[in-house]
Amino acid sequence: MSSTYDRGTVESFGRWQEFSAGMWAWILHKFTGWILIGYLFTHIAVLSTATQSPEMYTDTLQGLEALLVVRFLEIGLLAVAVFHILNGIRLLMVDLGVGLESQHKSFYASLILTAIIALASIPTFLGGMF
Amino acid sequence: MSTQVKEQTEVDEEEQVSPGERRREKKRQLQREREQEILDAVDEAEQTVELKIFRFDPEVADKQEPRFDSFTVPFHRGMTVLDALIFARDKYDSSLTFRHSCRQAVCGSDALFINGRQRLACKTQMGELDWPVRVEPLPHQDVVKDLVVDMEHFYDQMHAVEPYFDPDELPDGELEAQTQSPENREKIKLSTRCIWCGACMSSCNIAAGDNKYLGPAAINKAYRFAMDEREGSDKKADRLRIIEQEHGVWRCQTQFSCTEVCPKDIPLTEHIQELKREAVKSNLKFW
Amino acid sequence: MAEHYSSFQRGSMRWLLQRVTAVFLIGALAFHFVLLHFVNHAADITFAGTQARMSEIGYFTLMIVFLVTAAFHGLNGVYNALINMGLEGTKRKVVAAVLVVAGVLLVAQGTYVAVVMSGFL
Repeated sequence: MSSTYDRGTVESFGRWQEFSAGMWAWILHKFTGWILIGYLFTHIAVLSTATQSPEMYTDTLQGLEALLVVRFLEIGLLAVAVFHILNGIRLLMVDLGVGLESQHKSFYASLILTAIIALASIPTFLGGMF
Repeated sequence: MSTQVKEQTEVDEEEQVSPGERRREKKRQLQREREQEILDAVDEAEQTVELKIFRFDPEVADKQEPRFDSFTVPFHRGMTVLDALIFARDKYDSSLTFRHSCRQAVCGSDALFINGRQRLACKTQMGELDWPVRVEPLPHQDVVKDLVVDMEHFYDQMHAVEPYFDPDELPDGELEAQTQSPENREKIKLSTRCIWCGACMSSCNIAAGDNKYLGPAAINKAYRFAMDEREGSDKKADRLRIIEQEHGVWRCQTQFSCTEVCPKDIPLTEHIQELKREAVKSNLKFW
Repeated sequence: MAEHYSSFQRGSMRWLLQRVTAVFLIGALAFHFVLLHFVNHAADITFAGTQARMSEIGYFTLMIVFLVTAAFHGLNGVYNALINMGLEGTKRKVVAAVLVVAGVLLVAQGTYVAVVMSGFL
């Protein structure tokens, strides 16, 4: 069928306003997943300074923690991890066939809970900076 | 027509005008009348609705580049999207192409992308949509012409799950019905409703990315037979083997898009999830 | 039809393991975050503190299991995401091999770091 017209990917991602809760949950779960696995590699790399010398490890970590941008990145990481955990629990329920009718509600609940936890953690993460 | 002079000139004209030209003039006249008829219908209607319809035709020069055409259609209570499309085709543009047949959500021919969602045109009330109504062919399938998409791939996936009843034994008497328990019938009831319209497959993000994914409709079809107690355990194992391939049930990411668009309200995601658990269980047993 | 005929299909095995590791990771990741950001403040971390925690065999074991499950869950997730996008044939095999190697290196390096931190060697 060479004469057919393929509308390409524009038809899906140009239509983000029409996405349903389940689609957003999937997109966010995938996005947060990429960040977490990326962070795991970075995390091990930073901790590897311990194999050089104890002082280098302590200095590196405290040096990073002294940067304001790192503190904000940590809040972001917490939000990412919390969303991935909460939506992950939602997905496990879906896998077990529990509460399939309210899957969109549980997605909104994970979003709201993530926001609350991330906001509530700000004082802890910024502690000692100002 | 009453005076001699006028008749004379008419005769003169008729002599000059060729029969072909006369025929064309008659056609133009008819065309004008028809257009007036539509204008009158649109004028008389208490309410009109605008349709924006996707147009594409590889064989017509100015339709090779896809575009949207607008049609103003008289609205009446109870009007479906299919009614509006039929009006547009019959009254405005006979080249407007779309599939339809039974008009009562049984044949599954007219699944379309209406206002950004896969719906059956014959089952969707114009009154329940935001106006103007945007009608497009099903996404993630090649467009053949206007609203018609190529369904070949969808049918291939449906056939891949061997969608026919295959019991080990038949009832003794030739005229005896092959019965199943009411509970079992209840279990597969919703899955038997599928009308092969392709709305689910079109809504599925994964089917769009992974062309080999069986898709919700085919997996639901597999569910319908795998869960039927009248088929033997060997056949069930065969069916599970088909759906637990790499491109089978595991690709489902539980976005619920298919379940939300299914015009027959089949709980597709639920059926896919149950088959995943069934496949894991049967594997653990052997392990 | 089926491409592969072992008693346990690879697809269902990976699907099940992804869920089993998920259940463990929910607890482990939450514990890790709470311990190192809320109980102990990240800014106050020193090698001595880390060593004190890691020299406890229970904590050390938990961290190693955490590392292995997280590496599997993450890399298997990446693999799934790529298959969902239509990764096929030779490319898929190459990607699978790269991900396995990356996972092995990650776990090896992580274990080495953990052993150094614990002072077991």
